[in-house]
Amino acid sequence: MGKPSIKELEYTAALCRRKVLRMIEAGHAGHMGGAMSCIDIVAALYFYVMRIDPRNPKMPGRDRFILSAGHKCMAQYAVLCQRGFFDEAVLDSYGSLNSKIPGHPDMYKLPGVEANTGALGHGLSIGLGMALGLRMDGEGARTFVVMGDGELAEGSNWEAAAAAAQFKADNLVVFVDCNGLQISGKTVDIMNMNPVERFAAFGWAVKEIDGNSMSQITAAVDAVPFAPGKPSLIAAHTLKARGICFAEGIAKYHYWKPSAEELNKAIAELDKKIEEVQP
Amino acid sequence: MSTSETRDPRKEFGAAVFAAAQKNPAVVALSADSGGSSGLGEFQKTWPGRYFEFGIMEQGVVGVASGLATTGRIPVFCAIAPFVTSRPYEMVRNDCGYMRQNVKIVGRNGGITYSDLGSTHHSLEDFAIMSMIPGMVVLCPQDPNEIRNAVAAMIEHTGPVYMRIGNEPLPVFTQDKPFVIGKGSLLREGKDISIISTGTLTWPALEAARELAAKGLSAEVIGMPTVCPLDEDLITASARKTGRIITIEEHYIPGGLGSAVAAVCAQNQPVPIKMLGLPKAYAGSGPYKDIMSYYGLDAAGIAKAVEGFCGK
Repeated sequence: MGKPSIKELEYTAALCRRKVLRMIEAGHAGHMGGAMSCIDIVAALYFYVMRIDPRNPKMPGRDRFILSAGHKCMAQYAVLCQRGFFDEAVLDSYGSLNSKIPGHPDMYKLPGVEANTGALGHGLSIGLGMALGLRMDGEGARTFVVMGDGELAEGSNWEAAAAAAQFKADNLVVFVDCNGLQISGKTVDIMNMNPVERFAAFGWAVKEIDGNSMSQITAAVDAVPFAPGKPSLIAAHTLKARGICFAEGIAKYHYWKPSAEELNKAIAELDKKIEEVQP
Repeated sequence: MSTSETRDPRKEFGAAVFAAAQKNPAVVALSADSGGSSGLGEFQKTWPGRYFEFGIMEQGVVGVASGLATTGRIPVFCAIAPFVTSRPYEMVRNDCGYMRQNVKIVGRNGGITYSDLGSTHHSLEDFAIMSMIPGMVVLCPQDPNEIRNAVAAMIEHTGPVYMRIGNEPLPVFTQDKPFVIGKGSLLREGKDISIISTGTLTWPALEAARELAAKGLSAEVIGMPTVCPLDEDLITASARKTGRIITIEEHYIPGGLGSAVAAVCAQNQPVPIKMLGLPKAYAGSGPYKDIMSYYGLDAAGIAKAVEGFCGK
């Protein structure tokens, strides 16, 4: 598969957003806000950046993806499905007994999932371990981690951040999905972790982008590692619930249990978007 | 049975990991400012590219170990027991347990062997919490031979393993033979009572059994170096034979080997059971042997408890 264009990526992301609604329709609720804020990043990674093969999910030498903020799993499920890792019908099992797509990702249930996340503050350490192991393999594979900005308050992240710099893990690339909101309100008011300054202080090479802009996402990942010998941190400013206008930027849509009316409104908006951006 | 020599458990452990790493290039060692004290100095010198020093960050190390394991490495992480169990528990539970990764976590200076450093450095709940993780193997080898052979078995086993070792020099009393995870061993036959012990206390249990024999009390001694999964068949058979069990461990009485043995007997072969160990309290600090004696965890204390339990 050749590299897709920005327009093609935008179309892919729109289709993935629609798949998130399909899961919410099936399960009647879900962590929608964060899934929608990070989905452009996840789509870009699976469609533009990573060396992976949906027909061979355990391909040796593949790049790895970890969704440290595991509650945003509907973004990963939508993208994995869109990329051909599993059949679309699985999306309709969201919220049902023993679904392959539970409320947090399970690597033993769904091909393409590389880590069992859900408890926050775990993905960066696991990702660093993967990056170190892949470096030993010498095949040039990289590890990509998507974290939430609220998650950064977990102290374990900073153990991993220090170690990644110490081990010069420049095959580790981390996006912080800075949607600025967590359950209780604004992240800056609750615990302002200021990822740009703090990761830089920990010895990372840092860039800030608009994390809902495909051109900025792809430009950033095209430039990694930003500095040789340093892990790369991309502070991706995003909008929570991006794509559903009545929910965008509102904390209560972190977890969404929509009424039929709300859901239909959201579906109509995303269907329209898909038509608009179809290349 | 030889008792003429004692050996340092940490050195035995380090040498065994070195030997395993020589055979298997996938073995890597992780240190939280703890590798040298864990007997891994030679490993570091010989394979610097397979030795990762993290400084003091046990939560991060466990997560990294899991990530390394996903790439086929066999990470061995050894540090002071409470700092690789209680402190990073959620990382052990999720990243190693739930992710079913081939990570080997070794708690050294287990139990109260850091007796003078106080309760922050004691691990008296590690069997309990590590045994509660589905798929986690919990080992507590009893002498230098068993430490060496258990390390080899731990590396060969696919899946997460927790091993506890102590610090005090240990007498050699088990046979030098391959270690089988999940199997206990009958160290001394008896008919009046079964003593089931693990780790550092199995040697004093054997000494107690010898003392009791001189008084006409026949105690069977079972060594149980795998705390989880437990050798249910051996326990049930011995319970059926002697009709009475006393368990001995350097662990809180609730949640440890004794509780696990009692659960097996309750379902398979109900017999009276007495459990020796430490009470669920913050043990005082002081010389190791003094604390152990205070709680009756030496040969004399064990013999006295067995006699009392047998009504003699």
